[in-house]
Amino acid sequence: MARLDTREILEAREAYNAGLIRAADRNRSTWFPFAVLAVLLALPALQFSGNHNYLLHLTLYTACYVTMASGWNILGGFTGYISLGHNVFFAIGGYFAGMFFARYGISTIILAPLAGLVAAAVGYLTGLITLRVRGPSFIISSLALVMICRILFENWEFVGGAAGVALPSNDLPVEWAKLPYYFAFVIMAAFSVWAAYRIKHSKFGLGLRAISKDEVKAESAGINTRFHKVMAFALSAFFVGMAGAVWGEYLTYIRPNIYLVILVSVNMVLMCILGGKGTIAGPVIGAILIVAFNEFFVATLGASEINILATGLIMMLSLMFFPLGIVGTLARHRKLPRILNWD
Amino acid sequence: MSAVIQILVLGLALGGVYALMGSGLSLIFGVMRIVNLAHPSLIMGGAYVAYWAFRLGGADPLLILPFAMVILAATGGLLYRLVFEREARSAKYSEMTVLLTFALAMVVEGLLGAAFTNTQRITSPEYATDAFFIGDVFIPKGQLYAGAVSLLIISALALFLKHSRFGNAIRATTQNREAAELLGVNVNFVGLVSFAIGVGLAGAAGALVSFVFSFFPSKHWEWIVILMSLVVLGGMGSVLGTVLAAFILSTVAAFVGFYFGATWSTLTFFVALFVVLLVRPQGLFGEKPELA
Repeated sequence: MARLDTREILEAREAYNAGLIRAADRNRSTWFPFAVLAVLLALPALQFSGNHNYLLHLTLYTACYVTMASGWNILGGFTGYISLGHNVFFAIGGYFAGMFFARYGISTIILAPLAGLVAAAVGYLTGLITLRVRGPSFIISSLALVMICRILFENWEFVGGAAGVALPSNDLPVEWAKLPYYFAFVIMAAFSVWAAYRIKHSKFGLGLRAISKDEVKAESAGINTRFHKVMAFALSAFFVGMAGAVWGEYLTYIRPNIYLVILVSVNMVLMCILGGKGTIAGPVIGAILIVAFNEFFVATLGASEINILATGLIMMLSLMFFPLGIVGTLARHRKLPRILNWD
Repeated sequence: MSAVIQILVLGLALGGVYALMGSGLSLIFGVMRIVNLAHPSLIMGGAYVAYWAFRLGGADPLLILPFAMVILAATGGLLYRLVFEREARSAKYSEMTVLLTFALAMVVEGLLGAAFTNTQRITSPEYATDAFFIGDVFIPKGQLYAGAVSLLIISALALFLKHSRFGNAIRATTQNREAAELLGVNVNFVGLVSFAIGVGLAGAAGALVSFVFSFFPSKHWEWIVILMSLVVLGGMGSVLGTVLAAFILSTVAAFVGFYFGATWSTLTFFVALFVVLLVRPQGLFGEKPELA
């Protein structure tokens, strides 16, 4: 019997995939995300014309959340496992890099990928345990994880307990002091969006999306669901941990009530839901909107209670009326503008 | 030996309060399949009703309890009509409702924080700081009364569920929603009433909690995981299981607190939740492993 020539089949499949990509490209403006990135990278030039630290801070803050929300999206959006406890990995990344920075003076920007890997390793182990349950039970277990971590970090003397550890601030002049962190966060955000795109369109990502549709059918179609879920957990923890690493040095503090507050993990979830779970542009749009909302509420009303109330209300309303999120709803009605079609 | 008895007594008295806090949660999950993460924040609402009445008129929280129950039950009915009724046909119903109740918890927390600020509060009727002595075992009156009252309310609930016609309809809906509907039970109305009862129980629990624990709006996050551990260990939807789990866990927590320090006693609940979810997701009396 002649050996089956797989090369032709592979070539045909590649040609078909290339055709799909060309067809998708007709519906989108690929230049737009790159233009946004270019503008963001050039933005600090404004500092020559005066002090725009507030603008830089807001952009940096948004970029931090874009990184985290895109990471969360890998597990929550693609795979369909909602975690309300992802700030645990924010904390792990932050504490790991922060402690190294405090002890040995290695900048957290250099340590960020390593901190991400540490968070991913912890995520892998937690995933092995918590991903055995699904649906509401998984959500509850993720909340329990936050509570456990909070107690552990608050009582761990080595990392300063509840008081945390103060980190040295850099000695750049005030208008340039934010720049290293600014570039770090913008690049991390761009990397996370790009990685989310690559993951979504890989064979692995296809497996994840199959799991979110119907896990039993995915399993019987031959997908190793356990491996896929745990890897998705680890990957999403990687990005969140990476963002946490630099965030500590930027604030010059690592402390449980910076990292392990529920609002941080809610923000990640809410950004993805509001922008559109499982889409690439969704977390970015969600992050921009939520940071703007938060800033608006704190600036005009000045009370964090109102901020919590407003965050809760936005989340309820978007769940009830736009469960697909902005990008998802627009795409369903075929009204998604070309510049927002990043999928 | 007397130390052991002492801890046992304190653990069991607190267990009664936890049982009432968890039973409403369990009822709502049983009938509606809603994991009501907002339940602890609604308990907080009940506690603030009692606190408010105590500050304004010096009212005894135990007398305010029925009012707190009615106010919260009305809130529950309203929430059901506004929010949860329309979600019944959503594709990812259980996941959706978890997120919705989570958001609701934030809304309630924000409202309470705006109205009462985030300061620690506690109501202090005379019995809250008093105690009985039996030999050298002391029983704080506040915890004893709270435990007794909550057992009373839970017994009333059990009798209602077991012997009234409507209680039977609720239990039928818990066991099999479709079959109950086929037999002529108005499941939507049953849902509304049991949601209101469940939230009403949160109000009652809040009134009791108001003199047992000090509280502030954002404390409910801690309670969420504590209550979830009770409900999950008891088997989701089983009120009896929740009550039993409350006594077991609060006693264990009391012992952990005694031997390792108070910080670690709360950790008992969190770790218990984790372990139960992994080892026996259906809990002690649960029958629905597919929801786990």
